Amino acid sequence: MHGRRGRCPGWCVVSASTRAPDPARQQLTVDWQSCDGHGLCAEILPELVHLDEWHFPVVQRAVPKELERLARAAVVACPKLALKITKP
Amino acid sequence: MLSNVVQAAGLVEEAPVLWYANRGSGFVLLGLLTVTTVAGVLAGAVPGSREWPRAATQAMHRNVGLLSATFLALHVVTTVVDEFVDVRWWQAIVPFTSGYERIWLGLGVVGLDLILAVIITSMLRHRLGHRLWRGIHVLSYLAWALGTVHGLAMGTDAGTRWGVAFAAVCTMAVAVAVGARLVSLRSAPPSAGAPKANPVTTHRGMP
Amino acid sequence: MSGVRVAAGQGTDVWAHEGPRLLADLEHGPGLAVHRRRSIGRQPWPTSGRELAELLEAVDLRGRGGAAFPLARKVRTAAKARGRPVVVVNAAEGEPASSKDSTLMLLKPHLVLDGAQLVAQAIGADTIHVVVPGERPSVQAGVRTAMADRADADPVSMSLRQAECRFVAGESSAVLELLSGRPNLPVTTSRPSAVSGLGGRPTVLSNAETYAQAALLARDGVDVYCSVGTPAEPGTRLLTIDGDGDRPTVLEVAHGTRLAPLLAAADADADNGLLLGGYHGTWLPPAAVADLTVSAMAMIEAGAAIGAGVMLPLRAGVCPIRRTAVVVGYLAGESANRCGPCKFGLPALAHAVRDLALGAVRSSARIVQLMDAVERRGACHHPDGTTRSIRSMLRECPLEVEMHLSGSCTAAAVAVPAGAW
Repeated sequence: MHGRRGRCPGWCVVSASTRAPDPARQQLTVDWQSCDGHGLCAEILPELVHLDEWHFPVVQRAVPKELERLARAAVVACPKLALKITKP
Repeated sequence: MLSNVVQAAGLVEEAPVLWYANRGSGFVLLGLLTVTTVAGVLAGAVPGSREWPRAATQAMHRNVGLLSATFLALHVVTTVVDEFVDVRWWQAIVPFTSGYERIWLGLGVVGLDLILAVIITSMLRHRLGHRLWRGIHVLSYLAWALGTVHGLAMGTDAGTRWGVAFAAVCTMAVAVAVGARLVSLRSAPPSAGAPKANPVTTHRGMP
Repeated sequence: MSGVRVAAGQGTDVWAHEGPRLLADLEHGPGLAVHRRRSIGRQPWPTSGRELAELLEAVDLRGRGGAAFPLARKVRTAAKARGRPVVVVNAAEGEPASSKDSTLMLLKPHLVLDGAQLVAQAIGADTIHVVVPGERPSVQAGVRTAMADRADADPVSMSLRQAECRFVAGESSAVLELLSGRPNLPVTTSRPSAVSGLGGRPTVLSNAETYAQAALLARDGVDVYCSVGTPAEPGTRLLTIDGDGDRPTVLEVAHGTRLAPLLAAADADADNGLLLGGYHGTWLPPAAVADLTVSAMAMIEAGAAIGAGVMLPLRAGVCPIRRTAVVVGYLAGESANRCGPCKFGLPALAHAVRDLALGAVRSSARIVQLMDAVERRGACHHPDGTTRSIRSMLRECPLEVEMHLSGSCTAAAVAVPAGAW
């Protein structure tokens, strides 16, 4: 890690935002400038995605193993290619 | 060749099977491509509901599109294989090179080439990125129009009343769908905001 | 304290005070000859990324642009990554209340450019891009002159670019977008820029002041660098304080200095509270400011973040709710309008805070609901920064919030502009 004492003192803004919640699972992320709020992801994967009051997705990042196939289907279905899935 | 086999099998007196398959597939193709195009427009324009989500319209668009591709393949193969008209296989891919009905057949070939491009780019969508995919995909409208003109100009049944009626219905369906889409796009709110006036002086002017 | 007036153009003048390191010897001007004289007898520069990283780690040099990321880690990553590295100096500032980068580029451009050359040579970069603010035209002119003066002597070529006039223009990904020929707006990135940034190449992008600090460190050595500041946070940093004077003040301050006397020197006080960290900052009550020192760690303990060192004291008699409503209204208008939650959520939030400021609502539930809806959603931290000041306002000014919820406000009325958003 970084810092003079060999560990992050915790006040580094960037490291906090890039820490993966569960590194063992596939992660779902939204490419925000592409997302137009079509909502197909929420139709296909309601367990992990719901739509806010402006029809944009609120996404749970970690994908449980049993939902990986549906998550891939949601990624393929997005008309703007805005939903992405990353391998662990 | 195939018609000789069928004749020899004693099925019919004179059996232009390939010609019938060509005519039939052409007709069905007009219907299937119309459904594909309209479904594609609706998938983007019409919001989904609990009973009929957008994903269903999208799936219909993709599946009917692939079905159309199958019928398109049948249509092209029957044209090439049928000996009654002399169209070589490359003349079915490179437009305006056939001796038979060069212009009207050529338009159909352009339509075929565009649809091939659309299918290939759609299969590679995630690798090509959205902008390139969309640029090619928009050409499907042109492919639909060229196919319709090809059919009306060359189709054996294009002169019949029901043939014209069918073509008219399909054309109206696509025209209405596209027209509605253009209207909804024009009234959409603007996207990225332009830079404002100098924010620094704005800040100092703030209480 | 002696000071100079820095004219950045278009009504953006500031007062810059003399400082111990960065802003030393202001009276001799920003010229190259003067700068070179100060560097006579300096230590030789590190020749590799690893050597430079070790030097930076010896003082734990953090970025001065707001994220406080260790520069050493960026250097190590870029030196090892695939492709020819590139260096970007971010002086775009973005935040209108901040003037430190413009001041530094006008008064000490060669210190910043030395730092950029230092990093570029150590990691093997072949280009340095310097990005300056669009709304302060004299900065571009000054930097162009400075670059021309030293063009013959510098091994790594440098180029200058002007950012667009918007709040989010200085965000890291927005700067890289600008340099790539696209609109100067933030984008979602999948990999850190030190791995794959400009044109897919490893990119070290850092704030202008960070490069200047690195140049000081390389010139003076670790011991002299650590002779000011505290053992945990050696060295100095630049602050912008916008008090009651006719223009803001830029100060260079050693870590560990008490904040209250600095505010006084800038014609300001925190008797009515202080917005610490600029428009994306945190409200602090007077009691919290009284014993505060200029230290990133101390500010985190106080529940704030030093960010880019912008201090905005609330003038006497001004209501913090109304002031927050104006700030949020401005920030909502500065959305890039590309990401749905920001494009729709921030204006809705601005309306909700304005309703509170006008005493038109009986509950702050809608504000809380909207804040939860916009945070951590979008290509950049603009929504998160916007909610930070609102959350701290709700936390630190409970009496004022109560009063507004019951329809009154005792502070002098600050007009919330009708067409502000």
